[in-house]
Amino acid sequence: MRRIEFYFRETAAGIRRNGIMAFAAMSTAFIALFLFGLALIIAREINLVIEAVTGNVQVAVYLSDPVRPDTVTRLQTELQQLPAVASVQYENKDEACARAKKLFESNPAITENVPCEVYPASFRVTLADTAQYGQITARLSCQPDPTTHDITCSEPGVLKVLDFRDILDRLSAITRVLRNGVLFIAVVMLVSATVLVANTLRMGMFARRKEIGIMRLVGATNWRIRVPFLIEGLVEALVGAALAIITLFLVKVFVVDQLRGRIVWLPLIRNGDVLAITPWILIAAAGVAIVAGTIGIRRFLDV
Amino acid sequence: MISLQNVTKTYKNGVTALEAVSIEIEKGEFVFVVGPSGSGKSTTLRLLLREEEPSMGEVFVAGKNVVRLSSLGGIPKLRRNIGCVFQDFKLLQDKTVFENVSFALEVIGKPKHVIDARVPEILDYVGLGDKLNNYPDELSGGEQQRVSIARACVNRPLVLLADEPTGNLDPNTSVDIMRLLDKVNKIGTTVVMATHDQAIVDAMRKRVIELDHGKVVRDQSRGVYS
Repeated sequence: MRRIEFYFRETAAGIRRNGIMAFAAMSTAFIALFLFGLALIIAREINLVIEAVTGNVQVAVYLSDPVRPDTVTRLQTELQQLPAVASVQYENKDEACARAKKLFESNPAITENVPCEVYPASFRVTLADTAQYGQITARLSCQPDPTTHDITCSEPGVLKVLDFRDILDRLSAITRVLRNGVLFIAVVMLVSATVLVANTLRMGMFARRKEIGIMRLVGATNWRIRVPFLIEGLVEALVGAALAIITLFLVKVFVVDQLRGRIVWLPLIRNGDVLAITPWILIAAAGVAIVAGTIGIRRFLDV
Repeated sequence: MISLQNVTKTYKNGVTALEAVSIEIEKGEFVFVVGPSGSGKSTTLRLLLREEEPSMGEVFVAGKNVVRLSSLGGIPKLRRNIGCVFQDFKLLQDKTVFENVSFALEVIGKPKHVIDARVPEILDYVGLGDKLNNYPDELSGGEQQRVSIARACVNRPLVLLADEPTGNLDPNTSVDIMRLLDKVNKIGTTVVMATHDQAIVDAMRKRVIELDHGKVVRDQSRGVYS
């Protein structure tokens, strides 16, 4: 108990003494962790869009009503046997309706006014080889309609085929560029934050070299000397993380929530999504603190 | 209590500070280490504290081979058994007399009731029982050195190392400090004092070890400075 009290008293004294440096370290940690969180949120948002647009499959084969069970079994087996196909999942009308309701739950105009019957049953196909897509259309005897660009099929029971490959490719390209761009900036900022925190610790140790000298002389252990500085680094990183998390929630409330309802088809991240990335921000903050601590106190490692 | 066996210390820059030095000091002895600047006095004290390692030979303090001690536990434990006093006192200016002494116990994890009992006791012992709440810059040089001796002794060390403890003090104050060190010695603490102060060495008539160019040139019980 007394030891813990000692550590925190020393840590608080250290941060106070080193105010401006500690502030700089905390702000950089904050910006870095905010950008890191932003990158994760952007990735989540785009995944939501992909889910909304494609249902996370590459090709959807819609079935015409009424759906006959024997047609379902036969077509599923046949599709599965195609070498281009990795997996085929059947989604009946109820499941399609439930998925649509969940997708548009923020948009009651759609969920309340569109009856379940209009959602068609479908096979949701993931391709083993996207280039071999033609195998599916050939098997189902489909032709692109020159006027509507829909792909209609003459196979009995099949309504039409939707090809999401192109959209998926483009969306994932956008995701990659956006997320990697922000992640790159975040990594640069995280490195700066680490260096700044390490430097703060080092300056703190320099300012207190006389105390440290006496501590060594009277037989204080290495850890007794170092732990207050390690806690100082951890506190600075965690303050940055807390500010970053708060700011991300503010962004969600004041930016994302303002868009909600204005763009009807666009699903948006919710509080749960922000909450889900907070562990990653805390892990990144801990990483900053550990690396900074290791670098910052290395000069004082020897007794 | 202290044993240097054939110790040679050569620093990285090639300077040989000690050459084949062997010294035995018994428990409870009072020993002066004298010699001109650069003769190896400070190096000897630093070896005992394990602030330096010998290039050759062995150093024993309180039965422990200090070279073999680990920096994790062994070296701090060794230093808890050694008190240190310096020419420049090494007091923390932003702490009171009480806090300067209690700091030494606090950082080795002593519980509060021990600190509250021992710190006033030792400050009383060195004659500063009425100055607990003063800051170092409010004290005379002699008083500051007493605080530093109190800090060195508060954990009841087996050995007290003093590096020119009277170097910054006038002759009368120096005599007072020597009386105090003698008092500390009388209660069983082994005292090793490096000094230039001829008058003090001559007056005390204790064992004198003289170093010159890193070698022991004289080891005399009840000796004088030169």
